[in-house]
Amino acid sequence: MLVLKNRVTNSILNSERKSLLRFLTLYILMSTVVILLLSIFYYQYQDKLNLANHRTQLSTYAHDLIRRLKRTHHFFDQSQIYPRDNRFKSAIYDMEYINIFSILDEKKVYFHKEIYRINSKIHFVKVLDNYYLGAKYLIIEVDDIDDWIDEVIKNIILYGVVALLLLALFGLYLSRLFLKPMRDYLMLLDTFIKDTTHELNTPLSAILANIEMMDREVMVEKNIKKLHRINIAAKTVSTIYNDLTYLVLKRENASYNIDINMQDIIYDRVEYFDILASSKKIEFRIDLEPIILYIDKEKITRVIDNLISNAIKYNKRGGFIDIILRDKYLVISDSGIGIEESKIPYIFDRYMRFNQSEGGFGIGLSIVKDILNEYHISIDVESQINIGTKMVLRW
Amino acid sequence: MVKKVVIFIIILSNLYSQDIYQKSCVECHKSLPASLQRMFMNYLLVYSGEENVKVGLFHYIRYPHKDTSVMSKLFIETIGVKRPIPRHKLSDKDLKEAIDIYWEKYKVFDKIR
Repeated sequence: MLVLKNRVTNSILNSERKSLLRFLTLYILMSTVVILLLSIFYYQYQDKLNLANHRTQLSTYAHDLIRRLKRTHHFFDQSQIYPRDNRFKSAIYDMEYINIFSILDEKKVYFHKEIYRINSKIHFVKVLDNYYLGAKYLIIEVDDIDDWIDEVIKNIILYGVVALLLLALFGLYLSRLFLKPMRDYLMLLDTFIKDTTHELNTPLSAILANIEMMDREVMVEKNIKKLHRINIAAKTVSTIYNDLTYLVLKRENASYNIDINMQDIIYDRVEYFDILASSKKIEFRIDLEPIILYIDKEKITRVIDNLISNAIKYNKRGGFIDIILRDKYLVISDSGIGIEESKIPYIFDRYMRFNQSEGGFGIGLSIVKDILNEYHISIDVESQINIGTKMVLRW
Repeated sequence: MVKKVVIFIIILSNLYSQDIYQKSCVECHKSLPASLQRMFMNYLLVYSGEENVKVGLFHYIRYPHKDTSVMSKLFIETIGVKRPIPRHKLSDKDLKEAIDIYWEKYKVFDKIR
């Protein structure tokens, strides 16, 4: 009983895990973007703080140089030597941005910024009140010692990772909170299916065994017809039962692969469903080649049963079902009601039903897809409304 | 007599060999206590760029006024404001040419080391 419960819970966990993974991916992606933005702001703030620290010192340098420029200006006829300083490099530009004299390493100057970084240098632009030597702009240049960048990057990585982990944990908590109603719903549905399956087993076996054992020769024609109808109904229930059993009990069992003659198994399943098809006057048109597949017999039976069962269920009265088996593919097509093109991508989703008039839980094609995925068999669906549906399995 | 003629010819040839700046500016400024270079530096101090200096200088020569002078208050009080040069004595074209020569002679660009 515990094993059964674990299997059910696992199947719920799979779908929950998918939703959880999608939500968390999106959440972490958005969190990363937010953290990146915050990191950029933090970096810019630190950059400005660092420049502000430099500004005071560079402003002092500028005032020193202005004093010396004033002296040079007033005694220009005696000495034309530009005042230099070991602590920094400088340049002077006139009102028209023409370079008067420069000993800068980085020649590119942005006159409208007070202080800025450029190629590992810091430029401080001082606008002069008196144009000594004709200079309106005085540029002071020092090396940009970027020790602070390592510290800032270290902080960003450290706090960024911690913040991301905290946000991820919070996201996990949130997603579990949001997914709880879905989890409860799925749990309820799975519990229901499990209980139904369990309860169906004994009566269904009894009905099918008794139908087979009944002596038709002593029956009147009227009763034979009734028995025929009971047989069809019992087989329909049996197909559903087998799907439910597979879903609840056998899905996670290890596959027992053997060489299977696909031609034999298809003939066998067509014969099984023949009584159901003939009730709707549906004709099987079969063209099979003897093909051997290394596969679990129970699982491939579930695939063929579900495809044939659907082809019968959604077919028109007096329609046909074509089954073609070749070396690399199997085609099962019908002349049924068809599926809207927009709904085709969702037909393999569990509990997805597009036609409420027919019975079922919407688990058949989900099982088919599950099994085909396990054996890396692709399935293509082509469908046209009121013309039919064609399922092509390729291996 | 010959000596006087020779001296006259020399003076005349010197006069004609001088450019418009020499003839129109230097001659008169010789007698002033502030050199033309000092005045140029004052213009630079106020007007900064080449175009600005030239425009300011042109305007001042045409419309001299103590409020627009670049010279010190003491200089203005001592020497006074120059008289405007009328256009029939120095045309705009010649004045601009003289200013260009003045700029080229005293500009600081190539001199700073």
